[in-house]
Amino acid sequence: MIGNLGQKAAGWVVNVAIAMTALRTNLMRSILTTLGVMIGVFAVTLAVAVGSGAQVSVMQSINALGSNMALVFPQPDTGEGGRRSFDRGRLTMRDARAIEKQISGISDIAPQLRSNIQLVVAGRNASTNAIGATPGYGKVSNLVAESGRFITEADVRSAARVVVLGPTVARKLFGDFDPVGETIRINRAPFSVIGITESKGSSFGNDNDDIALMPISTMRQRFSGDTLAGPDDLQMLFVGFEDGVSLPQAKREMTRLLRERYRVRGKDINPFTIRTTEEFMKESAQVTGIFQIVLVAIASISLLVGGIGIMNIMLVSVTERTREIGLRMALGAKRSDIRNQFLVEAAVLCVIGGAMGLIFAIAAGTALTVYADFPVPIGVGVGIGAIIFSAFIGLLFGGYPAVRASRLSPIEALRSE
Amino acid sequence: MTKTRMNLPAGIHKIMALVETQDLVKNYELGGETVRAVDGVSLSIDRGEYVAIMGASGSGKSTFMNMIGCLDIPTSGDVRIDGIATSDRDGDALAELRNQKIGFVFQQFNLLARTTALDNVAVPLIYAGLGGDERRAKAQAKLQEMGLGDRLDHSPAKLSGGQQQRVAIARALVTEPVILLADEPTGALDSKTSEDIMQIFQTLNDQGITIIVVTHEAEIANHAKRRIEFRDGKVIEDIAVTKRRKVKP
Repeated sequence: MIGNLGQKAAGWVVNVAIAMTALRTNLMRSILTTLGVMIGVFAVTLAVAVGSGAQVSVMQSINALGSNMALVFPQPDTGEGGRRSFDRGRLTMRDARAIEKQISGISDIAPQLRSNIQLVVAGRNASTNAIGATPGYGKVSNLVAESGRFITEADVRSAARVVVLGPTVARKLFGDFDPVGETIRINRAPFSVIGITESKGSSFGNDNDDIALMPISTMRQRFSGDTLAGPDDLQMLFVGFEDGVSLPQAKREMTRLLRERYRVRGKDINPFTIRTTEEFMKESAQVTGIFQIVLVAIASISLLVGGIGIMNIMLVSVTERTREIGLRMALGAKRSDIRNQFLVEAAVLCVIGGAMGLIFAIAAGTALTVYADFPVPIGVGVGIGAIIFSAFIGLLFGGYPAVRASRLSPIEALRSE
Repeated sequence: MTKTRMNLPAGIHKIMALVETQDLVKNYELGGETVRAVDGVSLSIDRGEYVAIMGASGSGKSTFMNMIGCLDIPTSGDVRIDGIATSDRDGDALAELRNQKIGFVFQQFNLLARTTALDNVAVPLIYAGLGGDERRAKAQAKLQEMGLGDRLDHSPAKLSGGQQQRVAIARALVTEPVILLADEPTGALDSKTSEDIMQIFQTLNDQGITIIVVTHEAEIANHAKRRIEFRDGKVIEDIAVTKRRKVKP
């Protein structure tokens, strides 16, 4: 039994040796054929990696938002159909307080207003998306001041003219100079810079550092007069939850509470929308999953073409070596010996091509990560998968030529020129 | 049309027959016409014989040889090799039979190009299922017997015709077969080299190996002990060679 296995293993080793000799004999042809598989495996591997990179990137940007939270915003939730009970969305500071009071497991809330503002200092200016926030914002979205300080309760109470800048805005206005304590003008009013946030990087070409924060009360007084219906309205509410809180459960409770507050009945559309980070993750996993499938499908076409190239060359090889096949049969080769010889030859071609494709994919992935700041992870699993898949391509497309070779009649093969 | 049998009693003959054919027929379809290449040949060759099969081109001698070499399948009739009937054996069983019982020597040597003499000789041992070390040892021993001990690593391109044919003979003998089948073994060689090859055959036959040579050259045929002549697919003459040519050692 063991001897038999040993013989079988030795047989495969011999087949690999025969294959290497044959491939070396037609070196140029072998290289060109390998190139097809190489490009195919390169494309597929990179497609898989870019797909997972997109997934990682989305997850990162969702995590940058804050990991365990719900977003509430005053936009009628048209998701389920039904009668529209309000012409526009509703969300107020009172709603936010009610949520904080009545829903359990909340760590912090961050009611917000948002406005586009123009910042000016000493002839330089920048426009950015400003957030009117409370101290809770920093906690819910894991944002801390790297220099200076964040907005405090006192700032909110007094509607202080203070601003916390994102690193990008700070750089645009002040260069490398630390601007904490400086005064800038926002829409002609003087504000003092109290802090710089730490960098949150960028996700999907979106610069997370291109922001400015001021107390929510300050923004309400100075910038939001015409965009809001009521003096208590909010444009966004982040609700942070403690670890272990079930987000779907919390969402149901918040929905019930807000529906009661707005007296929404039956199937009528809610005048607010609640989304959780969990939902974002699921949705984006779906989107990136589809993105990845499409990418891999397109890349697979090149691998298919490479495989057809393998089949073509193997057919040529079988035809050219018909006499050798006949000779081997005369010397005692069984059909399976001949078939395996050509299968191994195709598989060796494909595995070499696959390995080279993998190396180039890793190089391209690394370049993308370094120069384009887009994560392209090629893990050990993907690598091994690519090699196994290449061998499979070899067996698939080498199968027909190999079987054809094994079915030749010994004498006809031997007589062929 | 006289047929002369070896002078042996029928009973012993049956036991000792190494190659036996019974009403062997091979038809080819050629341009819609059926050509009968071998037409009902029954003969038997015993262990230790040295047979020359002669005939003009198209006489059926090569087809006959291919069938007793289990390379070609008869249209009807049977071939028995060493007592084994071949008609009911499948392709793989025939491959095994060729591997173990028969050694082939071809006119064009049929060595694998860009492959060393040693590796060429070792090929049949791959299919016999031997491991690498054993293959090399046996192949080397056979090449040394053929006087090619110093040419183990030479590829066919670096060997003369006679040397190439000796490599091919080593390859045919490496599995220790009972029969050596040679199809025009000197057809591609000059007369001096042909004599060398004939001497090797004679030595091998003296050692007890059964040899069957297909040739159209009377000179080559005269080295054999028995001559079978084919014409139009039939045996027209089957005689003992009286004036045997012997190559001086």
